[in-house]
Amino acid sequence: MSPELMSAQQIAKELSETPPSSAISLQMSVDNYLDVIRGVVDLFANKKEMDTIYVTATISSDAIRRVLEALDIDASRVYFVDCISHIMMGASAAQQDEHTTLVESPTMLENLMLKVEYLIRRSQSKDKLVVIDSINSLAIHNNNWILSEFLHILVSGLRSRDAYTVILTVEEHSTPDINNMVSLVCDHGIRAGKQEG
Amino acid sequence: MAQRTSDRCATGLEGLDTILYGGIPRSNTVLLTGSCGTGKTSLALEFLIHGAIKGENSLFVSVTENSEKLLQNIIPYQFFDRGLIKSGRLVFVDLPIMYERLGMTKPELSMEEIDLLVAAISNLAKELGTKRLVVDSITSVCYKLKTSEKIREFILKLSKALSDLGCTSILVGEVAADSTSYSSFGVEEAIADGIILMANMERRGDLLRTLQVIKMRGTMHSRAKYVLDLTPVGVLLVPLLKGGSTG
Repeated sequence: MSPELMSAQQIAKELSETPPSSAISLQMSVDNYLDVIRGVVDLFANKKEMDTIYVTATISSDAIRRVLEALDIDASRVYFVDCISHIMMGASAAQQDEHTTLVESPTMLENLMLKVEYLIRRSQSKDKLVVIDSINSLAIHNNNWILSEFLHILVSGLRSRDAYTVILTVEEHSTPDINNMVSLVCDHGIRAGKQEG
Repeated sequence: MAQRTSDRCATGLEGLDTILYGGIPRSNTVLLTGSCGTGKTSLALEFLIHGAIKGENSLFVSVTENSEKLLQNIIPYQFFDRGLIKSGRLVFVDLPIMYERLGMTKPELSMEEIDLLVAAISNLAKELGTKRLVVDSITSVCYKLKTSEKIREFILKLSKALSDLGCTSILVGEVAADSTSYSSFGVEEAIADGIILMANMERRGDLLRTLQVIKMRGTMHSRAKYVLDLTPVGVLLVPLLKGGSTG
């Protein structure tokens, strides 16, 4: 019998036990994506009154916004760096407001870092959270060399700014190479999916 | 080479100051060069605004665009305050107007006129107590000088005059996108104390804006290539990821 999926409360509790400037690898299943969102954005970041910079490379910011709305999660502190709408030719549909910044393509990893940096500087909240959703989606568009380099520079930069980084990994789509790459830059790992540690 | 912070003119662009180990050595003349659309004017303007905010009088000598149009480009900067212009900390001068006042109506300037132009710019800088100056673009001035000798003479004299005033200067240069040289006439790059190259770099179909410090006399500096973004909080820089670099 496979282990139970971690609940949103458990995910938030584990995140709360990590100090600011931590980089956390959050391995999830496609089946508990909604719990992960609730745990990370609502029960962790919103509860701590911190701004969330949500880097989305899997589904559009519009779609995540709708998910947040459906889950009745306050999105007023969530700022999206959307790497997927433009490449899907859905940029015109995506809202381009102060809560959403578009990156032309998930291959433009430097631009992704620059947008995160811009939002970090603009943020007024004391603590900040950066969510990468997900490393597997970024791996579709980038080779492991450039992705490792990107993670290393991004996480180091965020650590120096005392921001939390949460890197989402979808266990059904992951590979040992990707898992190693993430664990190399992270201080903590949370297994919220089905696979045993 | 270790230098005191006071010997540096901190540009105020955090990333660039890190690349330059604290800023441009004071009184240096730097060639900021690149093809169109790479962000040269924005970077140069930001350099002046940060100077003005710090209380250093700053002068923008505009050759190609009129000042009013330039001011429209400043407005998106969150840190820009029009009071800097009202107080005289940040001054804009249109060189074509200066040419007119000096009676320089011919398409090519003589050696005497070059001296006159250098004197006019340096006198203005002296009068205003300028500590930071930008000429945008030096290439447009060079088109009125025509020969390498005249260009050399003009840049050497201007650099010397501004350096004597303790003024740190940026000369904006324009090169063609496919140019392998750092300047249009090949002279500017040899005379400047520093060269900052801005470019558009294509990688797998993506066009990235890049910045690289090629040389900077009087300081150690990074020679790596950085990717930049022009944002309302100013120019932001991150290292170019080498895993996917083609060049």
